[in-house]
Amino acid sequence: MISVKQLFTRYKMLALLIAVVLIWLFFSWQTEGGFLTPRNLSNLLRQMSITGILACGMVLVIISGEIDLSVGSMLGLLGGVAAILDVIYHVPLPLNLSIVALCGLLIGLGNGYLTAYLRIPSFIVGLGGMLAFRGVLLGITGGTTIAPVSPSLVYIGQGYLSPLAGVVLGVLLFGLTLFLTWRQRLNRARHGLAAHALARDLLRVLFIGLVLAGFVYTLNSYDGIPVPVLLLLTLLGVFSYVTSQTVFGRRIYAVGSNMEATRLSGINVQAVKLWIFGIMGVMCAFAGLVNTARLAAGSPSAGNMGELDAIAACFIGGTSMRGGSGTVYGALLGALVISSLDNGMSMLDVDSYWQMIVKGSILVLAVWVDVSTRAGRR
Amino acid sequence: MSDYLLEMKGIVKAFNGVPALNGIDIQIKPGECVGLCGENGAGKSTLMKVLSAVYPYGTWDGEILWDGQPLRSQSIAETEAAGIVIIHQELTLVPDLSVAENIFMGHELTLPGGRMNYPAMMHRAEALMRELKVPDMNVALPVSQYGGGYQQLVEIAKALNKQARLLILDEPSSALTRSEIEVLLEIIRGLKAKGVASVYISHKLDEVAAICDTIAVIRDGKHIATTAMADMDTGRIITQMVGREMSNLYPREPHDVGEVLFEARHITCYDVDNPSRKRVDDVSFSLRRGEILGIAGLVGAGRTELVSALFGAYPGRHEGEIWLAGQVIDTRTPLKSIRAGLCMVPEDRKRQGIVPDLGVGQNITLAVLDSYARLTRVDAEAELGSIQHEIARMQLKTATPFLPITSLSGGNQQKAVLAKMLLTRPRVLILDEPTRGVDVGAKYEIYKLMGALAAEGVSIIMVSSELAEVLGVSDRVLVIGEGQLRGDFVNQGLTQEQLLTAALGQPQGPEHSDRKSA
Repeated sequence: MISVKQLFTRYKMLALLIAVVLIWLFFSWQTEGGFLTPRNLSNLLRQMSITGILACGMVLVIISGEIDLSVGSMLGLLGGVAAILDVIYHVPLPLNLSIVALCGLLIGLGNGYLTAYLRIPSFIVGLGGMLAFRGVLLGITGGTTIAPVSPSLVYIGQGYLSPLAGVVLGVLLFGLTLFLTWRQRLNRARHGLAAHALARDLLRVLFIGLVLAGFVYTLNSYDGIPVPVLLLLTLLGVFSYVTSQTVFGRRIYAVGSNMEATRLSGINVQAVKLWIFGIMGVMCAFAGLVNTARLAAGSPSAGNMGELDAIAACFIGGTSMRGGSGTVYGALLGALVISSLDNGMSMLDVDSYWQMIVKGSILVLAVWVDVSTRAGRR
Repeated sequence: MSDYLLEMKGIVKAFNGVPALNGIDIQIKPGECVGLCGENGAGKSTLMKVLSAVYPYGTWDGEILWDGQPLRSQSIAETEAAGIVIIHQELTLVPDLSVAENIFMGHELTLPGGRMNYPAMMHRAEALMRELKVPDMNVALPVSQYGGGYQQLVEIAKALNKQARLLILDEPSSALTRSEIEVLLEIIRGLKAKGVASVYISHKLDEVAAICDTIAVIRDGKHIATTAMADMDTGRIITQMVGREMSNLYPREPHDVGEVLFEARHITCYDVDNPSRKRVDDVSFSLRRGEILGIAGLVGAGRTELVSALFGAYPGRHEGEIWLAGQVIDTRTPLKSIRAGLCMVPEDRKRQGIVPDLGVGQNITLAVLDSYARLTRVDAEAELGSIQHEIARMQLKTATPFLPITSLSGGNQQKAVLAKMLLTRPRVLILDEPTRGVDVGAKYEIYKLMGALAAEGVSIIMVSSELAEVLGVSDRVLVIGEGQLRGDFVNQGLTQEQLLTAALGQPQGPEHSDRKSA
């Protein structure tokens, strides 16, 4: 007998997808279809990209058993640096991107060093960074908005791919899905493992194909695929690959699950944590650039509370609070849930205090569902 | 009225349709001590969880009669109220609270306004400790001040305070020294005389033989036999447990011992919290190629500290030189040691051995994962190949390599941790309590594996608290006492008494062991 609870436990992501669909249907009904227009969905995905980029890094941090509270301020700081370099020093875009990414990496590594080598709890390092980075940002901007940024930088946040490029991308992704599914079946067969039923795999490929087609069609019927969304998709691919296929990825899970056993297995757990924080820093740089580009300005309040959205996205997406388990796509689905709530409630002109109450409640609810289904597995 | 205190009739418990218990019948009279024997995974713990209502009434089939009345408890609180108290293998004390506070945990004596009635609790706690014949224990001190043996006694005091009529002891002696075990057994005898019944679960059959009146053996969830101890011996218990004759507990494979391969010189370790205290005091020894060196000693003597210092896993300050094949090697971190050819399987499997969120296979390849990397990607096929090879070599019982490691029995988890270290192809392998919490069958296989490794030329250092095991497996035995090397014996005609005498140190009597008892 398969109860609903067991189904949710086994297909947690399915449950999350259903939640997203329900949220969308609700808002669509409330806005008389306004929510599900291509224009709004495009907007929603662009809004989501910043939280999503942060969540990509944050999920690694949380899997490894740590937390980083400084990402919102770091995002603001790095976005501010990008704006200053662009507006005041007219640094060309590629150089600007490199400098900001490098700064992000260095700050992240600094956080990682404090946590992994000096053994300051990451919660405290993050809390300190949250204040300090915001302070630096206020200092270097003088508390004012830095504007207007150059069109080339704006493109990162507000640009769109041409419809043709969108279609090509969609086809390529579908091809990749086919290839990966085929290879998985082949591998399972070679190792004498029972392959999934052909019907199941076909259904899955078909489903992914439909989602991709819908995705490209919807966005193309507005202005095309937004550049930040493309960036997010790329990151999703890269991070999924890193967590599931690489040595480093496996070590992230091992460190988060049992650090002592991992250390005694001859793994440099401190270095693993150092680099996780380094990656988090680079993600802050990307998110900061996109944010500055989206606003076309460097704002001293940019990224305020960004860390909370990113952390909430990870937890809604099923990342374990004790570390050791979680997925990148789960975290991105979590980010989609949060952004959908933000976007929908704004469309409905819900007071901002209500928005906060609803988001907070959803986070607690999601984690409760997660915890209760986990307990059922024991 | 029956004269049984407890009768369990036809207990059946299944998990997702897979039976873990298949019709178990157990009867216990007041004041009787029943030894519950079975390999790991046989269903002992499940049975005790049924009895103590960790699995509430209704989640299993069968009947429990307590004092002749049906017992249908929904929670541990109810069974405890009835007088059934279980003491788990892992102690459930709060280290930072005092002995008295731990004894009264959940049943605190209070003054008006919910204030703790400390004087009354201290008084009662002291009375309990006198009853347990450890009158010198300071019940106001935090539990963490006392060693494992004392903590076990605190657990028993806690149970007595709940007016236990049936005490279930799950592997109570796994962390105790020999003298502490004697005290424990003496206490159980005292309880028997007072009419308190007990269920004693242990892999140490000599203890079971010493204390129990009746032996109940279960295997694969089935009740094999209940026999009076008078009609049994440990050999017959083992035969019933494994379902086959096991003539020799310690397989000895003849292997050649070669030249000196490894040397530890002047190893000294300082206590983490108290840097002026030496946990290991200037220990030097050598090890030959293909030699199995047993390290014996009492718990707390510094054996684990010594071997973790060799491997670079000792958390405090330590010094000394380590030589491998004529060269000084750097073993400051486990990573460096493993690269140099020195590996360790740590003592505490749950905390230091397994990575619970990874599968069996991923645990096995954890230490050598880079060797499967092609650029960045792990070659899943090559990885799976060596996992399957190791699973076959270790006779590791797992349905697939993808099962969570936590779903395996203790013995199979240990085999996985061993396999992980062997994949790094060590020249010197340190095994710290390699058979703790491991069933008889898996123990035998681990000993056989050690013999085979030695025959291949791997040198093995084995720390063990079971003297019989040390004598059964080692070529040579070091004895450590109070951080110092107290003896270095060739294992020929060596006896447990000799080892124990050395461990306790000649000039002092047994009262100067690491226990604080009088």
